[in-house]
Amino acid sequence: MTDSIKKNHPDNYFSLLGLPVSFSIDKETLTTNYHDIQKSIHPDKFANATDRERCLSVQKAAQINDALQTLKNPLQRSIYLLSRYGIELGENNNSIDPAFLMEQMELRENLSQVNDKDDPLGELDTILDDVKSRINKIISGLENLFHELLSADEQDDELLKKTSAQVLKMQFLNRLQEECLDKEEDLADQL
Amino acid sequence: MALLQISEPGQTTAPHQHKLAIGIDLGTTNSLVASLKSGMAETIADEDGHHLLPSVVQFLGKNNSLYQTDVGHQAQKNASRDPLNTISSVKRYMGRGLEDIKKHSIYNFVTEEDSVVPRIRTIAGDVSAVEVSAEILKKLKQRAVDALGGDLTGALITVPAYFDDAQRQATKDAAKLAGLKVLRLINEPTAAAVAYGLDSGSEGIHVIYDLGGGTFDISILKLTKGVFEVLATAGDSALGGDDLDHAITDWILAEAQINDPDAVLLRTILDAARQAKETLSEQDSASLAVELPDGSIWENKLSLQQFEKLIKPLIRKTLVPCRRTLRDANIETDDIQDVVMVGGSTRVPLVRQMVGEFFATEPLVNIDPDKVVAIGAARQADVLVGNKSDEEMLLLDVTPLSLGLETMGGLAEKVIHRNTTIPVARAQDFTTFKDGQTAMAIHVVQGERELISDCRSLARFELRGIPPMVAGAARIRVTFQIDADGLLSVSAREESSGVESRIQVKPSYGLSDGEIESMLKDSFSYAQDDIDARKLREEQVEAGRVVEALQAALVEDGEALLSADERSTIRQAIDELIEISKGSEQRAIKLKIESVDKISANFAQRRMDASINKALAGKKVNKLNQ
Repeated sequence: MTDSIKKNHPDNYFSLLGLPVSFSIDKETLTTNYHDIQKSIHPDKFANATDRERCLSVQKAAQINDALQTLKNPLQRSIYLLSRYGIELGENNNSIDPAFLMEQMELRENLSQVNDKDDPLGELDTILDDVKSRINKIISGLENLFHELLSADEQDDELLKKTSAQVLKMQFLNRLQEECLDKEEDLADQL
Repeated sequence: MALLQISEPGQTTAPHQHKLAIGIDLGTTNSLVASLKSGMAETIADEDGHHLLPSVVQFLGKNNSLYQTDVGHQAQKNASRDPLNTISSVKRYMGRGLEDIKKHSIYNFVTEEDSVVPRIRTIAGDVSAVEVSAEILKKLKQRAVDALGGDLTGALITVPAYFDDAQRQATKDAAKLAGLKVLRLINEPTAAAVAYGLDSGSEGIHVIYDLGGGTFDISILKLTKGVFEVLATAGDSALGGDDLDHAITDWILAEAQINDPDAVLLRTILDAARQAKETLSEQDSASLAVELPDGSIWENKLSLQQFEKLIKPLIRKTLVPCRRTLRDANIETDDIQDVVMVGGSTRVPLVRQMVGEFFATEPLVNIDPDKVVAIGAARQADVLVGNKSDEEMLLLDVTPLSLGLETMGGLAEKVIHRNTTIPVARAQDFTTFKDGQTAMAIHVVQGERELISDCRSLARFELRGIPPMVAGAARIRVTFQIDADGLLSVSAREESSGVESRIQVKPSYGLSDGEIESMLKDSFSYAQDDIDARKLREEQVEAGRVVEALQAALVEDGEALLSADERSTIRQAIDELIEISKGSEQRAIKLKIESVDKISANFAQRRMDASINKALAGKKVNKLNQ
């Protein structure tokens, strides 16, 4: 399969939601298009239809929901874009630089000690803000990387590798963010 | 020039034929039925003018195999005289196993050998929660048919947003037993939002705090241009006004030094507790008087202050899910436009006060909190049957609980996360563990915890017929789908060989298809002829529905999407179906429906794709026109 076919396949999530294939997306257009499509194919519109149509509408609505979830979230969106180049995340863990892994260990260490602090929730907020700003930095870097990648005529393997490494970092940070939020919930419930 | 009239896709072409649809709020304490009357949704009263039907069923006996029951006010009056045969708060038992429901229950629960569903032993026999609920639904259905005077096209039934799959399935089963065609199950807070949202027409973020008789739900919705999108939902399907009653009951038992009350006394005290709670919504103290078994009367006063001290921990418990929804919806209290109070228990002043403080806004109580859910349900039911509605409205709801699978070591692996918009479908690949393995067992759970034992077991099923291969070579793709009712279905396929695996799902807490079939048979206890006549009638109705839907589709898209040949093939099939359904061969009608379905499969697919294209393209046209 050549590059251009992958990019323009009619069944892809971007064309499904009427958007150009790109990492940067217009959130408002995404939401409006999603709503307009659901207004025409949601199972509620087929409550009186034949079984076949009701069944199709459930499947289609589920697919559209999946497309929205994937495109709305920067991590999911970049994993999806990479998958179109045949890349599955996690295969090339060794491409992560050691300095990043050290940072991760430190952040996790801090998180595990939050409970012992005088103001655990405040401490957690500091860590969360730090993680969020790291994620945002990666996102803005990815905008350029994906733009270059998608506009290239030939597949640039070096660039692809570089992009995957950034996405992998984002995945690490996202997981950490989730753990922070779980911890926040636990702490709040104890109040 | 005359303007061409073009109807909405998915709607029928007979605009003047108004269809009768009802919305039912099947509550723990009270139930209601509502329908649209000249454009306004209203709850329907019984002949005595009561809108609320107490969700109480008294079993009197059995005639042939038909239950003799009293439902509603009469049953409620008899409850303390005949407590063991008079079932109230049955909603708490829906989709639940024995260990969940024993607490605070006065009934004699029994389990049968070949069923996972507990039964309540009554004078009329052992009855399941589904059958008890069906009696309530039958009563509401009759009320609606009497008031509206015609055949019902369908009913929309509300369920707590936090109901899990087993509880939803049980509700749908009850409707089936009551002979209702369920258009959709929708979440109670979403229905309330529809009732409020359309009246005020306000765009923005709304919080629905719904504390009913036995369940608590919190939902955060966003309203944009006719689309209600649930951002997050949470709750507790075993927390409600009943628990406030129980808190007072426990206090009375302690004060009166009663250690081991029998069913009659407990029922009496529970009734006194409920009355005291209602009094304390308006007054500073409530007098209590309970007749004890020795004939003496125990009297006391419960002050508002004491009452609030008793119930405060329970209300605080509702704030934990509130906090979680805010987080899941990724919003702050500042973003919230208003907080809507739903459910009779929100009449308790302390509830309003604590919720108001938590969300930093004065809660809304414009619509009667008892009726708001039924009113919203009736509106949505009317939209679903395709009656013309001025407001093009769409509800996008979410699944309240994560769906997971048991993995090695008793851990749950999440396949679908909570608060994912439904319908949703996710595929998961599995492989074999041993050489030549031809079957595998899969355990589906619902819940947020990591350990399987902390989650709720939904179903177990076995995949059989996997072709024998070396370990790890088979690729079994299992697809989990949650439909718009929030109900799960599972399908599986061995990918490398294309073998469709057989799945036998054993619900952990549900009635099997066989059990429902036999209950249905019992409810039409007479002769085999009657059952056959009913089946034929149902098949004819189904045929009529298929014909109507296809004809509507042909009018809308036949020219655009089909060749002349294809059109005539479908038309011919429709004509044949019409002809056959006039006869009395149920089986022949069924077969013909199936064949029409096959013939029109491509057309359905093309219509769906065309709808999407139209949705995206139409928008650009609109922009030009305006």
